[in-house]
Amino acid sequence: MAVSKTCDGVKRRDFIKIGALGFTGLTLSSYLRMVEAGDAKPKNAKSAIFIELSGGPSHMDTFDLKPESPSEFRGEFKPVKTNVSGIEICEHLPKLAGCMDKFVLLRGVSHSVAAHALGRSYVNTGNRPLPSLEYPGYGAVFTKENPGPENLPPYVSIPNSTQTPGFLGVKYAPLNTGATPRSGQPFNVRGISLRSGLTVENIERRETLLREIDQTFNSLEKNSQLIEGLDRFSQQAQSIITSKRARDAFDISKESPAFSKPFGESSFGQSCLLASRLVESGVRFVTVSMGGWDTHNKNWENLENRLLPPLDEGLSALFNGLAEKGLLESTAVYVTGEFGRTPKINTQRGGRDHYPRCMFMLMAGGQVKGGQVIGKSNANGTEPIDDGYSPDDVAASFYHNLGVDFTKEYHTNSGRPITIVREGSVINKLFA
Amino acid sequence: MKSIKMTSCCFPFIVGVLAVVPLTAPIHAAENADIQKPVSQRFADPGNKEVPQFQQHVVPLLGKLGCNGRACHGSFQGKGDFRLSLFGYDFIMDHTQLTAKDVARVDLKEPAKSLILQKPLEEVDHEGGKRFEPDSWQHRLLARWIEGGAKGVPKEAPKFVRLEVTPESIQFNKEGETVSLRAVSVWSDGTREDVTPLCRFQTNNEQIATMTEAGLVTAAKPGDTHVVVFYDSGVIPVPVLQPVSDQYGDKYPAIATSTPIDQFVVTKLKKLGMVPASTCDDSEFLRRISLDISGTLPAPHEVEAFLKDASPDKRAKKIDELLDSPGYAAWWSTKLCDFTQNNYDDLVNVSPVRERPSQDWYDWIKKRVTDNAGYDKIAEGILLATSREADEDFEMFTKSMNGIIQDKPGQEFADRDHMPYYWARRDFRNPDDRVLGFAYTFLGIRIQCAQCHKHPFDQWTQTDFKDFRGFFTRVNFGVNPESKKEYTAMVEELGADKLRGNQLVRELSQKVKRGENVPFMEVYVTKGRPEKANNKKKQGKNRGNNQSPATAKLLGAEVVEINKMQDPRTALMEWLRREDNPYFAKAFVNRVWASYFNRGIIEPPDDLNLANPPSNAPLLDYLSREFVQHNFDMKWLHREITNSDTYQRSWKTNKTNELDEVNFSHYIPHRLPAEVLYDAIHQATASDDAIDSMKNSIDERAISIAASGLRNRALKDKQYALTIFGRSTRENNCDCDRSIDPSLLQTMYIKNDNDVYSAINRSNSSWLFQVGQQLGAVQKPTEQKERVNTRLEQLKEQVKDAKQRVNQLQKQADKKPQLKQAQKRLQAITADLKKVRQASSKAENAPARLQSFENPISQVKSDEIITKTYLRSLSRYPTEAETTAARKYLDDSQNKIDGVYDLIWAVLNTKEFMLNH
Repeated sequence: MAVSKTCDGVKRRDFIKIGALGFTGLTLSSYLRMVEAGDAKPKNAKSAIFIELSGGPSHMDTFDLKPESPSEFRGEFKPVKTNVSGIEICEHLPKLAGCMDKFVLLRGVSHSVAAHALGRSYVNTGNRPLPSLEYPGYGAVFTKENPGPENLPPYVSIPNSTQTPGFLGVKYAPLNTGATPRSGQPFNVRGISLRSGLTVENIERRETLLREIDQTFNSLEKNSQLIEGLDRFSQQAQSIITSKRARDAFDISKESPAFSKPFGESSFGQSCLLASRLVESGVRFVTVSMGGWDTHNKNWENLENRLLPPLDEGLSALFNGLAEKGLLESTAVYVTGEFGRTPKINTQRGGRDHYPRCMFMLMAGGQVKGGQVIGKSNANGTEPIDDGYSPDDVAASFYHNLGVDFTKEYHTNSGRPITIVREGSVINKLFA
Repeated sequence: MKSIKMTSCCFPFIVGVLAVVPLTAPIHAAENADIQKPVSQRFADPGNKEVPQFQQHVVPLLGKLGCNGRACHGSFQGKGDFRLSLFGYDFIMDHTQLTAKDVARVDLKEPAKSLILQKPLEEVDHEGGKRFEPDSWQHRLLARWIEGGAKGVPKEAPKFVRLEVTPESIQFNKEGETVSLRAVSVWSDGTREDVTPLCRFQTNNEQIATMTEAGLVTAAKPGDTHVVVFYDSGVIPVPVLQPVSDQYGDKYPAIATSTPIDQFVVTKLKKLGMVPASTCDDSEFLRRISLDISGTLPAPHEVEAFLKDASPDKRAKKIDELLDSPGYAAWWSTKLCDFTQNNYDDLVNVSPVRERPSQDWYDWIKKRVTDNAGYDKIAEGILLATSREADEDFEMFTKSMNGIIQDKPGQEFADRDHMPYYWARRDFRNPDDRVLGFAYTFLGIRIQCAQCHKHPFDQWTQTDFKDFRGFFTRVNFGVNPESKKEYTAMVEELGADKLRGNQLVRELSQKVKRGENVPFMEVYVTKGRPEKANNKKKQGKNRGNNQSPATAKLLGAEVVEINKMQDPRTALMEWLRREDNPYFAKAFVNRVWASYFNRGIIEPPDDLNLANPPSNAPLLDYLSREFVQHNFDMKWLHREITNSDTYQRSWKTNKTNELDEVNFSHYIPHRLPAEVLYDAIHQATASDDAIDSMKNSIDERAISIAASGLRNRALKDKQYALTIFGRSTRENNCDCDRSIDPSLLQTMYIKNDNDVYSAINRSNSSWLFQVGQQLGAVQKPTEQKERVNTRLEQLKEQVKDAKQRVNQLQKQADKKPQLKQAQKRLQAITADLKKVRQASSKAENAPARLQSFENPISQVKSDEIITKTYLRSLSRYPTEAETTAARKYLDDSQNKIDGVYDLIWAVLNTKEFMLNH
């Protein structure tokens, strides 16, 4: 019958079907067409590190300084040259200035959500938040598409993350380390480390007892996905707990001192060190959170003394360390806060307030071509020149770098089709 | 046609939607003279000059062809600059788009050149490909419409009344059988037309029945589902059923049905040839009912007493007992807080004391659950809430609230008549969000689709959504304008008038905690101020907040004049309480059912829509009707469900019901909800005394945490566990905010997380500790203290000696090396002393400690330990094989305490522990 197909080339009957059965591959998506047309390179990063600068770092005082702007905007810091000619960043980021060639600085990224939780939800998913639907974060999507090795957790958050699996469900939630590692001290990771006195032999012995007594539901195994799933998770958990691989992955003391030293002693630096070690071991997605960027008060004092030094040290060591180990090509890195801060200084409080209209983000690794500034803000850093980029575009690019078709659709439990990133498009300059 | 048994007696209890068709009516012979033939026949005749209608024919055809689907022109961006309303129903916009002057979509002068013909014929390039053949009826229908002037919907056009589908249900006997559906539309002018070729069709389960474009249903695997027919705003589900065994109808074995629920369930099973599972045994029943009703494992002594009890009504008595337990009130208040979405993060800054609103919300509900107030009363207290009760002026209200916050005796928030925080939430302040939230909480429907387009699976249109919104526009949260002066005066008096926003709240918070009286923001309702057409000037000046709609329309019911009502929400409440309200009672009954069976009679339980019919409509109707008759008595509902055989069936299946997931023919094991599991871990690892105290004092339990939310400090230690086990986030107006899916992290948690380890060996109150005491393997704090003190005394002596020696040596010039050594020693002992001093001060409050215990233990003793470990976790006696395995493990363990530790660990890690079964 002539009317059996929609413009997607999918049968109408499938098209109107609802519910859990769902359907896949609905669209010959624009993404695939793009791949066909040669705009997108299919060679992708295998893992990712997402760094969340929680609170919203001031773009004007970090990566987008405006030394020529009037004093009510300008701020106290001076720009310095980086190792890429023509690019300047804040004087308190000297180490990052020294490895500017390894990452891309996006300026004038712009959105309109000025509250912390909602802004985070936006930059964590690439979709403007809705009250009736929770979009999945990058880590959940990426590890759903790329589950990773059996004896490692696929997705780890140091120490925890505001990224949630959204409607994909708790199956895709990250393992939270709950704490940050400290230099020279054993790091206990919940669910993975063995508490003192517990050996692999103990664990294997008690497991035999468990197998002997866990028989009640044997008859249900063939008909129950739940029973089958619990058995599978049990085996996987056991192999993670007993494998040296997982425990070694979290043991940063195994890194050579020469490699560890540049990361510094700060908890952010140590977290970056752990992140690099985890992706090296095969963990697919790692988030690192660093808080304190909500500088309504004493903006410059906080930045200079408390925030910028560990960021500079930890992040530059991460870029350099990944490059040194040959991991930068296979690891997509994305650094962002939830928004920028008001270009106009709040003189009453000596700080800057929430400002989503203009912010910065950093991208590195995978196919990203470092040493560029993409996008531009206007003279006073109040808005992007031209349209600027949105978090949606950056999300699309991040997924693209990871080889995830961001135009793919998932279904919520009520059968509603939701595209991974609804509005964004790839920023091709990143990969040029 | 193949031999198909047509039944209308198939679902004798179906009420409402479906009309009864005579048993003998042959499918195609029902053509009465007054039913118009379908367009596919009429327009097959090239000579037919009939002009088709826009609403009746053109838009449904575009829908059928897929034009207004979301991937095509129904997309909000349109396709090729041409946009239709998604799933149709915006007739004005669609008509405007089709007939837009600037593009020749419709060419009245040369109809054949119209793009809406050329594109689907693929005479010109069309991304959507060819949609119909030249001279097909589809082609002719569209062509005739254009030739007839391409008219939209005329003002006096008849209204769509309903859709009638025959047959009204289908019973198949084997795979491959087919039945054709026929759909007749009925219009307000009496017109009846066969619209089968213009309908959309869908099957709700392709494994059981497939469905073609033309309305042909084909039987696949045995089982039951629905096929659904869509036309205009009509949505008609047709049940399809094929027996799963030959034991159906007359051949069905005699199954006793002791309650009405069982009668409805077994009536359906009988048609399916599905034999229900037998009744579960007593220990399984006790564990299941305790976890379900009270979120709490039965205590070991309770299990033993229950198993011993020989009275025939012991299950009913247990149900009553549990419904009176504190666990029931705590757990079902948590469930009600899920449905009403009590979220800490959304209530920040609503009150001067941040922790209070979500806690007050929970306590307010809990008081009513404890007192078993009617569900309608609870709904009323929330739905009609304003912060001030009817008799309170600002002063009285402020006094009362300050008293509550300052914990003055006799002042409880739960004693107030209303709970306004539902309306104060940050994500519940605009009317659209309120429509979504209200529909979710009290109606169990998902109306968000209709916010932007026609609901694809239900009758709701955007107009329905907009017309409903009027009930919600006059509720506000903030400083009540009526008492702004008093409010400001109080702020000034407190010296906080320079502060705004968060800073003001913080300041007020400190003041009220110090016992000063502070003012409160309020949920309040403004007076109706309908738009006045003749007063444009005033309107312009007060634009924005002063107008409110004069009328609002209840969903699927009448229009209400609201501008003279003091509070339009009273009309909503009155509607909810009506006996014929199709949602309110049903949504709650279905949710309660779902929490017992892990599946609603409608599933998902919060998605009541016409295309998602109940798996057993008579059952749901019965329970809803009786629930209303019993004045919304929640305990009645719990009792009615849990006393049924259906609830008490075993999970052990037979050949006929092993694949059943929707007809309640056996119990389906499912993972315990996050809070219940968290508590169960702590309970199963607790000593006898601690178990009893956990059952009675609920405050520290996970099942009684008031709110969700990342900023909720009350969740602190439990946050990670509750998150990974899927405690409701209460964020998205969806029952799916709670998850009981299993995951890898959950298993890693229970296998190897410190939370679990410290639950097993927590001192004093753990079962392990109790065993240790019995074995004499506990080092008492006094012993520890004595040991430390002895050492302390020794060290003090040594320090004294060392000091003396240093003093002596200092006087002797020739003893330099010895002096150095002596000084070193003094330093070392002093450091030791410091350490031991600290240990000693700690030992003052030190808990008793478990020591290792390496002597053999008698079989009697080890069997007792094993039995009690099983009773407190799996609520049953261990089997012979389990006892043997565990005993051997203990025997083989060098340190018996470690052995018992591992046994407790192993039991917690069984699937049986993690599941309700």
